[in-house]
Parts: sequence; structure tokens; C-alpha cells
Amino acid sequence: MSKLFIQLGFEGFALAAWETVYMTAISTAIAYLIGLPVGILLCVTDKDGVRPVVWLNKLLGAAVNILRSIPFIILMVALIPFSRALIGTSIGNGAMIVMLVVAAAPYIARMAESALKEVDRGVVEAARSMGAGVFAIVWKVYLPEAKPSLIVGAVISTVTVLGYSAMAGTIAAGGLGTLAVTQARPSNAQDVIWLCVAITVLIVQVVQELGMWIARRTDRRIPPRAKKIRTK
Amino acid sequence: MIELKKLSKVYATARGPLEALHEIDLTVKDGAIYGVIGLSGAGKSTLVRCINLLERPTSGQVIIDGEDLTAVRKKRLLEIRRGIGMIFQSFNLLEQRTVEGNVRFPLELSHTKRAQAQERVRELLDLVGLSDKAKAYPSQLSGGQKQRVAIARALATNPKYLLCDEATSALDPNTTASILELLKRINRDMGVTIVVITHEMKVVESICTDVAVLDRSRIAEEGKVADVFSFPQSEIARELIIPGLIRSIEGNGGKKLRLVFDGVTEPVIAGLALRLGIAVNILYADAKNIDGKAYGHMVITLPDDEGQAELVKRHLAERNVLYREV
Repeated sequence: MSKLFIQLGFEGFALAAWETVYMTAISTAIAYLIGLPVGILLCVTDKDGVRPVVWLNKLLGAAVNILRSIPFIILMVALIPFSRALIGTSIGNGAMIVMLVVAAAPYIARMAESALKEVDRGVVEAARSMGAGVFAIVWKVYLPEAKPSLIVGAVISTVTVLGYSAMAGTIAAGGLGTLAVTQARPSNAQDVIWLCVAITVLIVQVVQELGMWIARRTDRRIPPRAKKIRTK
Repeated sequence: MIELKKLSKVYATARGPLEALHEIDLTVKDGAIYGVIGLSGAGKSTLVRCINLLERPTSGQVIIDGEDLTAVRKKRLLEIRRGIGMIFQSFNLLEQRTVEGNVRFPLELSHTKRAQAQERVRELLDLVGLSDKAKAYPSQLSGGQKQRVAIARALATNPKYLLCDEATSALDPNTTASILELLKRINRDMGVTIVVITHEMKVVESICTDVAVLDRSRIAEEGKVADVFSFPQSEIARELIIPGLIRSIEGNGGKKLRLVFDGVTEPVIAGLALRLGIAVNILYADAKNIDGKAYGHMVITLPDDEGQAELVKRHLAERNVLYREV
């Protein structure tokens, strides 16, 4: 057992794990609040959407694509001034959350867009035939019908954000990634690195299984009997 | 009353403009069950979607009870749509809502009070015979049950009109019959005017009062079902109504007579042989027995002898069999 391992003890690992979890959770939640409306707009204003607005769709689509194509580590550097302007600092957990939100929101927007576009066009057409306006179609058709898909998207996004959060050490934020990269690696504490990996895998497993379980339970398209069958 | 005036719809496609409807003029009187029949690609679906402006016509007017839908504001259009129910081939139920949730949907859109809505949902499920399925989800229902839910939902806001887009095309014959029976009842008991889009002759035959035959974006023929079915004028109508007929007429020389049986009780052809001693060849026959009366079409050969031919015609006329030389 390495010196660092003993020095950290249970509390050291628990703190790092907690930091990872809360940065991921808060970032994903805020990113969802931004990404979901953008995803709705992308779906609604599409040329085949319920209220086509081609210029807005193109503009949003381009913005999302640009943000998504920048590697996260470069995006972090680019966002330093933004973070400073927004929360007064460009280092630490708070700054990390800002950067994770900027990286994850466009990702979530695309996830939400594709989940909404999976909703049967016929059902949307039926709602239109009943005199539903755009707002009612989004609120009463798109969102409830796409709910299981949206939950799956949230799970995938959470795992992605968790992965990004490993780079937190770059800007002096905490978490398991920081522990492994900035503390364990220089002192060659292999056991610390492996425990960090194990804890991360565990967190991903829990998020994944719990999320999928919720998605399955909410989906009414699957008859209750079939729900017991495990699908991978 | 629904009036379509010079209605055209042109789609812009990658290969240039595609005309789905060409200057359609059509009137659906209140109380009618109006059938629009045609082969696939004839423009039927576009036509029905133009009635409630799910598709905006390229030119022409859609006038419902005197109001031109192509000219009204968006908000008014949504109100008008609430007075026009619609059902679809693929049912289009909300998969994440229960049966009663689906039927309640249009009532939520019209901001009906909850208790009142609940009462209406109960009435409607009773009407379509699905009271016991109120809490079920669409995935637990059969096709016929889904269409019943869709019908209940379409009727929730007491619409004056009901549009049916191939509503029975995904159903088996027995289920089709029961859905058609339900539509007939809705028309008769609730006075709902129904427009039926279909490619199935038997649908028009069994419930419609009027019919328009759509062919390549145009109305080929229109009229009362009895008239159009007895003596279809256009080639496409003949093709649709009596498929084997054309072949039977073309394939044989000599004079022929096409007979239309419209509730005949007597054995007419046998009578011809027994009473007049004239034997005729039956080239084509498609008849149905409903309550002991014969309905349908038949093509027979006429004797070459003019006098005998006259006798045959008189025999038919006396027995109320409509005929036409072909």
C-alpha cells in the first residue's frame, strides 16, 4: 500500500468521490435546463416541425455543432474568461461546473432533439387535428411521449459529464480524476489510481442501471409483463 | 356543410413540383357519409388533410359552414379544428396515456372542467363499448379497440364533422365491419357528418351515402353511392367497383347486357329460361344476398335475334332489373 493511499484514508477517497458526484450532478442538471429547451426549439422549428422557422433552426444547429466539436480540454481553456466574468473565478469546483455546463448543454440539446423526433408523427398530427397549438403539442404530446427516451438521454449525458469531470484537475478543481492525475500519478501510487478507477466504474454502473430502470418503468409502450425481461 | 372549391395542392419535391390535387370541387352535405375512394397515390390523404388544413392547399378554398378556413387567423383555425374530429389508419393514440387519458386529451385542449371532462369520458367509452378498458394503455389493446378509443377521442368535443383517413385499412374484416357499424351509428344517432377516405370498395358500399372517385389528383366521378355503383361512368370507377367486369366485356364478341340487381327477389335469369325459353350466357356475376334480395352486377350475352333480345329486355324491366347494353 502506498504512502498516499494510507494518507488519504477513507475520508480522502470519500471526499474525492463526493466532489465528482456533485460536480457531475449539478452540471448535468443545469445543462439539462438549458439543453432541453434548445432541443425542443430544434425539433419544433425544423422544416418538418410543427412551427418551422428555418433561420432560427439553422442558427441554433450551427451553435450546437460548433460547441460540440471543440474538444473539452480546449473548451476549458477558451472558457476561462467566460467563467471569470460569470462567477468571478476560473479555478475550482465552481468554475468546473460552468465549463461542464457549457460542454454538456449542446450535447443534451441534440439528445433531446432526437428523443422528441422519435415521437410518432401521426400522434402529433392527431393532436394538431384536435386543435392543439404549438405549446400544447410540446407540453402534452412531445414531452410526455418522449419521456422514456429523454430519461435515457439524461443517463448517457450524465455519464459523459462524469468523464469530462476527470479533467477538473487542470483548473484545480477536485474529484476522483484530480486525485488520480495530479496526486497519485506523480508519486506513482498505482493503488490509488486503481481505486479511483474502481469507484468511477461503480458510480457509472449505479447511474446507468438506476436511470435505465426508471426509463423502463415510465415507459407505457411496454406491457407490464414484458418489463421483467432484462434487455441490454 | 363542407365545400371545397377549386382546391389544388402542389408539393415541391427534389424532382420538381408534384401536383397532389388538381382543382377539386366537392360538397359534403350535412348528415352525409361521404366516401372518397381511389387507388393509392390518387391524392385521397392530401384531400382529407386539406379539409381541416393539416395541409394548407396551394390554391382554392375550404369552406365549412360558410367560413373559409384558408382565410381565418391561426387562433380561429384551432377553434374550428375542435369542431372536426379525425381518425387515422394507424390510430395515433398517445402511447404514454391511458385510454381515458387519450379521450380526455381534446377536452384538456378546450379547457373543460375536470369533473365534467371525466363524465364525458365515461359517456364516450360507454358509446364505443370500452368502459372496462379505461385504465389500460394503448399497447395493451387490439387494433379494433385502439380505433374505438380514437373514435371516442375524436368525438369528445361534440364535433359536427368526423374525418376518417383509411380508418379501417389496418383492421381485419370482422373488426372493420364493427367499426363501420359504429360509424354508421354515430352518423345516425348523433347527426355527425362523416367523410371517409378509403381504397376499399366495401367500406363505401356498406356505409356511404355519397361517393367521389379520385383518380390522379382529379375527381373522376361523383354522386350518390347507388347511382355511381350501378352505372359507373369513368373508367377508374368501373375498375374499382367491378374489377372483373371490364375483362368480361372486352373478351367476348356479340351483344352483351350489363344488369344491376338492386334488391331483386325473383330468380330472374332462371325465369328467362323457363318462361321465355331463352338461354343466356353469364359472362360475369358478382351478387350478394342481403335479406333474401339480390344486389350486384351481372353481364350476360344477348341473343342475336332482335325479337328475342327485346323479350329479354322486357323481362328484365318488368322485374326491376336495371340494364344497359355494353
